[in-house]
Amino acid sequence: MKKIILIFGVLSLLVFIRPLLGMNASSETTTITTATNQSVDSNEDKTFVSEAVGGIKQFYQFTGFANAQSGNLIMILIGVIFIYLGIKFDYEPLLLIPIGLGVLIGNIPFLPGYETGIYEEGSVLNFLYFGVVKGIYPPLIFLGIGAMTDFSSLIANPKLMLLGAAAQVGVFVTFLGALYLGFNLPEAGAIGIIGGADGPTAIFLSSKLANGINILPDGTTVKNLIGPVAIAAYSYMALIPVIQPPIMRLLTTKKERLIRMKPPRAVSQKEKMIFPVVALLLTTFISPSAIPLLGMLFFGNLLKESGKTERLADTARTKLIDIVTILLGVTVGASTQADIFLTKDSMLIFGLGAISFVIATTGGLLFAKFMNLFLKGDEKINPLIGAAGVSAVPNSARVVHAEGLKADPHNYLIMHAMAPNVAGVIGSAIAAGIVLSFLG
Amino acid sequence: MTHIYLLTNDLSEGYVILVTGLTIVFGGLLILTLFFKYALPIMLYIYKIISKGRDKKIKEISPKLNEQFTGEIAAAISAAIHLHLNEQHDNENAILTIKQARKMYSPWSSKIYGVYNKR
Repeated sequence: MKKIILIFGVLSLLVFIRPLLGMNASSETTTITTATNQSVDSNEDKTFVSEAVGGIKQFYQFTGFANAQSGNLIMILIGVIFIYLGIKFDYEPLLLIPIGLGVLIGNIPFLPGYETGIYEEGSVLNFLYFGVVKGIYPPLIFLGIGAMTDFSSLIANPKLMLLGAAAQVGVFVTFLGALYLGFNLPEAGAIGIIGGADGPTAIFLSSKLANGINILPDGTTVKNLIGPVAIAAYSYMALIPVIQPPIMRLLTTKKERLIRMKPPRAVSQKEKMIFPVVALLLTTFISPSAIPLLGMLFFGNLLKESGKTERLADTARTKLIDIVTILLGVTVGASTQADIFLTKDSMLIFGLGAISFVIATTGGLLFAKFMNLFLKGDEKINPLIGAAGVSAVPNSARVVHAEGLKADPHNYLIMHAMAPNVAGVIGSAIAAGIVLSFLG
Repeated sequence: MTHIYLLTNDLSEGYVILVTGLTIVFGGLLILTLFFKYALPIMLYIYKIISKGRDKKIKEISPKLNEQFTGEIAAAISAAIHLHLNEQHDNENAILTIKQARKMYSPWSSKIYGVYNKR
């Protein structure tokens, strides 16, 4: 045993001192090609020490420390905050934690040109990001959402569907606001959809409109806004428990918040099966551009409700959506590479996004109050559920429920709030389809 | 994809999209609402008449017979069943050891099967 160690030791010593003995003439030139393209001359007078220092210097050029910029550090801080918010406050941890870690991944400073970054052609992250850029992930997420969603509260009380439409006012007003701030039409469309409060829809639309590839009629290329739009949409969706309650309290009176709605009727299986088919036909005939989203949504729902395809529905709502969420979250997070993400446009988008959520919530609440003018007796709806018309399933419905409980500890609004909530998903997908058909 | 450039000015086109977009979203969901409020019950009623006598099951769970049985009750019962079936964690073995799992024989993964049946 000792002999083996001795032999191994001598061999390794030989390997290490080889440069000193001058046996390096051929091998050294190939191994060291510095990042700064300094040619390394293998002169005889070059000592081992200076070459080692040179190697370390060259290695340093590759490290994050050498390439770090203040933007990277800011984004890394934001990523850490995302992770913290997700873990500590439970704000949509399934989204914020992948995105937060993605932000870290995307903002590790690196030397460009070695197929590392998400925006570099051929890098692994770039291949994963393909699903975002081409809008592949969002429909798959919608398939899973469809297989999870129970539309029965909507079928029991179809008029609540209008609340989902009312909240889409946020999309179009934000669109107009973005135009006022000087964004061109496709970019404004992509920004507007943040008001739909639906992450997959926002990514889908921005990947079609503001992808940095499309060329406008006047010859300029649209900016790549997928990252900012997606991050804005997801972070405000996570912040719904913070954004919505003040608006709800501001726009409703105590008396309105106390309104009790009659429990929804039981819905037969037949109706649940008919819903996805009919809703698919009606909505996509109106807005064919939304086929990828609505088609998958209602396909997933039919898998769930048909009663014969439980296996497929089960995969769609568990494994499939989990896989896609992981890929989507990490790549969207990583797409926030500081030099591309930290721009004035992104700041504007974040501002507009916050406003759009406020407008969408306001639209839903006011429309619910407006509907109440025409409804009598126990048909009256609690205007709080209007706020659930922004999609953000099921977070906004939960917020509505919590807010209703604050006013009256025995008023359970969750089932009623789910109706405008799922209608909001349909509504924002239709809205995305309309914007796409106008500007695509 | 259709390109509808109605006006040259971005902002005025924005207004057009604002108005038409909102109208279409409302229109679409209004049609859905109307369908599920009026057309679907009629369709189901017609179906019931056509398949009279054969479709006993639907009749039994018809909400008309059970006005008391609301969605909330259904939700409570199903939640209870769900909890009962999925949250039975009482008597679990606390001893954790690594057990040798015996693999079931399967011709799909059998080496000898692959050796003898070369086709």
